[in-house]
Amino acid sequence: MAERNSIPPDSHRGISLRGASFRYPRAEVLANASLDVPRGSAYVISGANGAGKSTLLYILAGLVKLEHGTITIGGYRPDPLRPSDLARRGVRRGFVFQEGGLLSNMNALANVALALRYHADLLGLTIADVEKRAKSALDRVRITQNEMYELPAHLSFGVRKRVALARAMAIEPKFFFFDDPDVGLDARTGSLVHEILSGYRDDPEVTMLVATNRESLVERLGVQSFVLLNGRIIERHNIPVSSGPPPPRSVA
Amino acid sequence: MSEGPMSLFPRHPETERPGVVQKVGKSTLGAYQQTFGLLETLLGALSSQFEPGLAARSVASRLAIRQMFFTGFEALPLVSVIAIFVGATIVIQMQTVTQLPGDMIGRVIVAVVLRELAPLTTAIIVAGRSGTAIATELGNMKANSEILALSSLGIDHMRFVVWPRMVGAIVGVMVLTVYFGIIAIMSGYMTGVVMGASSFAALQGGFAEALVRGDIILFFLKCGGLGLLVGWFSCHYGLEVRVSPTEVPQKASKAVIMTLLGCVVYNALVTAGFYMIVGPPVR
Repeated sequence: MAERNSIPPDSHRGISLRGASFRYPRAEVLANASLDVPRGSAYVISGANGAGKSTLLYILAGLVKLEHGTITIGGYRPDPLRPSDLARRGVRRGFVFQEGGLLSNMNALANVALALRYHADLLGLTIADVEKRAKSALDRVRITQNEMYELPAHLSFGVRKRVALARAMAIEPKFFFFDDPDVGLDARTGSLVHEILSGYRDDPEVTMLVATNRESLVERLGVQSFVLLNGRIIERHNIPVSSGPPPPRSVA
Repeated sequence: MSEGPMSLFPRHPETERPGVVQKVGKSTLGAYQQTFGLLETLLGALSSQFEPGLAARSVASRLAIRQMFFTGFEALPLVSVIAIFVGATIVIQMQTVTQLPGDMIGRVIVAVVLRELAPLTTAIIVAGRSGTAIATELGNMKANSEILALSSLGIDHMRFVVWPRMVGAIVGVMVLTVYFGIIAIMSGYMTGVVMGASSFAALQGGFAEALVRGDIILFFLKCGGLGLLVGWFSCHYGLEVRVSPTEVPQKASKAVIMTLLGCVVYNALVTAGFYMIVGPPVR
């Protein structure tokens, strides 16, 4: 089945993309594409380099405005210009960016604590809770005490990526988006990230979307996989062999 | 199709070179988008203050105070030096060219230094110092996906990034203008004394005659407006960066140029309006 999975769209309050179109001046990312991600499920999105995986993930996370079509997350339509709306409605989303996206003028701890402080009243947290939770998230990704107080520019790529993961984890998201989460990491750190992702995959409360072309991660997660191809979102095992990269492979 | 040697900066083969009509159309559309974008930034920042969220308000307030410190306090040495020389220069010119009496010098200082040079020079200093810093910082944040990352965390960048910088610039320009005025007057007075031209009593008498109640309104109108222009334009042009770091210096430069233009025009309009209401400054 192309462009949709088998779950009826109204039986969940996961993520629903309908008739979506989006293009850059010289590249079409989505052409009337649809996708339903049921609540609590985990999907992988792959595609050739430049196909628009990251953009699709931004769209599914409600960070980018569609030209046509609609997106709902947890039953709500996100407004990219008012990102706090979703948080106020209790929809907690986490996004791990390919390059980290850490605020360069804040140290690692402040980066992780920022969203917790900003939404402290919504999350019912005190300042002490914020610090405790931020440090706990950094501990989970094995950030040392010294690294916590460094600016992102003074940290290695792998550490920055783990801090970015901790920042997203700290808000305990129910919708989690990962953009190439293990690219550029050494084997040990990559394995840690895979382990964390597997944990979220098994959490029935968390809806997870991972954009990656790494077979090792796709195999490790072993979840339903989609491919972004020529503006369409296609189930991986439905891709015709003639379509070229990435290689068709059933992982369900 | 004949092809010459490849340019150092080759264009996409399908890129069309626009004709005159297309260029005019593009410029018109660009001006419209520019105006619309500027208004969108201003309204976005203002409306973000009406969003609920006590914790968010507290975070934004702390950032605004930090920005005030950066824009105001850290600029004091630079403003001091400029104010000393501006105040002295005005008095030297008046003494050597016009030989004005002390009370007249006081009046001219009110008109020239307090009403004109203090707010405008301060705004220019803040635009050059903090405006470029704001535009560059925001441009880099945009290019490094930091603004997108804030959105992903449910943080409104208008509230978290733009508003504190606008408030910081407004308060910074206000405080620095007062400081500039005080330093320039002191410098002018001391220069006058050294040149044997004025007594403090005569100078003070001139101030008292020249200052009117409308000056308080003028102060808030000028400093508030100029500070807003600095913060607003710097944030807007910084956020105009899309994805490439090479856009950052271009936008920072544009931010400063547009801010200076905006400040000079705004200052002239407010001055004209003020004298239309209160009459000529020196009789």
